[in-house]
Amino acid sequence: MIEITAYALQILLIIIAIAIVVHKNNGTIIILITSFSLVTASLYVINNAPDVAIAEVAIGSAIIPLIYVISISRQREFIVLDRAMDDFIRKTFDKEGDGYRLLRDFSEYYKLELNISNDPELCNYDPDKDQVICEKTNVDLIIQKDEKTGEYLLKGKDSSVLMHKLEELASNYPNIKVVRFKDGEFGD
Amino acid sequence: MNPLLTFLVVLIGLYGLSTSKNIIKSVFCVTITEAGVILLFLNLGNLEGGSIPIFAEGLVNIVDPLPQALMITTIVIGSTVTALALMLCIKIFHHYGSVEWDVVLRDGGEE
Amino acid sequence: MVSSVIKHGFLILLLLFLFGVFYFTMEELDIMYDTFAKRYYLLNGLEDTASMNLVTGIYLDYRLFDSIFEAGILLIAVSGIIWISKHDIEEHNVHFMLDKFKTPDLFVMFARVVYPLMLVFGFYIIVNGHLSPGGGFQGGAIVATAILILYYIDPNKDTSTSFILSIEKIVFIIIVVFAMLSIFTKGTMFTNPFTSSDAGVQTIYLVLMNVLIGVKVALGLWAIFTAFLREGR
Repeated sequence: MIEITAYALQILLIIIAIAIVVHKNNGTIIILITSFSLVTASLYVINNAPDVAIAEVAIGSAIIPLIYVISISRQREFIVLDRAMDDFIRKTFDKEGDGYRLLRDFSEYYKLELNISNDPELCNYDPDKDQVICEKTNVDLIIQKDEKTGEYLLKGKDSSVLMHKLEELASNYPNIKVVRFKDGEFGD
Repeated sequence: MNPLLTFLVVLIGLYGLSTSKNIIKSVFCVTITEAGVILLFLNLGNLEGGSIPIFAEGLVNIVDPLPQALMITTIVIGSTVTALALMLCIKIFHHYGSVEWDVVLRDGGEE
Repeated sequence: MVSSVIKHGFLILLLLFLFGVFYFTMEELDIMYDTFAKRYYLLNGLEDTASMNLVTGIYLDYRLFDSIFEAGILLIAVSGIIWISKHDIEEHNVHFMLDKFKTPDLFVMFARVVYPLMLVFGFYIIVNGHLSPGGGFQGGAIVATAILILYYIDPNKDTSTSFILSIEKIVFIIIVVFAMLSIFTKGTMFTNPFTSSDAGVQTIYLVLMNVLIGVKVALGLWAIFTAFLREGR
């Protein structure tokens, strides 16, 4: 009886492993990897190794799914720091700001989830050190209004692929300018 | 229990590792390979049968306890190494804006 | 298109080759398979280590040197994670994801009931490691999972990772020093320092070492998921 159970569990294990390799959606894979670790834990018990099974259950039930969930959810996010504080990226009932339209197109193209922040500490940070903010915190884009010309400046990292696309989209809007920071100008 | 079926899990993990296009997918495949290797060790220790390696009345035959002692540490270390790899993935996403191998290798090669 | 098919073909051929190597190794396993170590542990294990659980006996006595370096790898990996996830400007990330996220009340109530039970269970697994399945590594992971529940109850909770890491470093040094004490009593490093043949005295070493390793593993995993949760906000 225990032999048959062992064979059935091993075949289940192989099926789950193939499903993980074939599947495209990373969110579904988290559920699969949790069930994978449960099946391996029961196989450890069948192999007369209860010590190892306890370790696998303790690690695989909470901590591994948590770190996968966080690192996958971080990939859908694009964090924007809004320093302009006007209607530029807001939508009111009768009109849409230019920045709102631009960022909506952009996030739909890459299926990103936009998070717009007005964090006062970061907003009042020295504007000359925007590059430091981009490199040292997890802010991806900074929006700033140039008081003299009335242009809006979008600042981001040069190395990011997303910034190239944003620059391409922004060329349709005359009052928006994209600034890209070069890598490595700010000391290591 | 059949060691050949267990080895198949390791091979599936290696196949996924060499064909995956997403970095996070690669980390998943490393987890699969690791579980397969652990299972293989325990399987070989259990090959001639025996009972759980805890002393009790009338114990005549036990499974090999040495692989088990090594594999406990492997599981705990493996989880931290997975966490390290995922933290690097988060940083790669912040730097390149993508976690596809193609994009990251192309942009990384230009510099 | 054609080149990708050729690449996949070569890959599958390579994997089939590996499978063949493994298959023929398994055929000759009867010649290579040796049960000498197994029988040695069965005959002398209880006398040498005073541990009823042979697995605990091996990683705390026969192979303590390995365990120490595995604890060291854990420390290095945790330090790496903390260093990579560090932000130089203060520690404020952008905090607006918290507004969307609120834990359900039922879950909070349930977690408050479960949390002390999990903590006690983890501690039981650590202390009882030499008698039943368990030990420092497994119990430490359970204690870390119990601490994780606290973060589900209160998502604003934050702990200084550098403080956790410095405690972990101190615990690691204590483990190394404690393992090397046996050079004064027995003349060899990395074994049980108590010379008395009484099992009760030797058990003190096993329990203390299990508790130290458990504390170290729990602190390491705690630092890891604190760093990740901070990144997720």
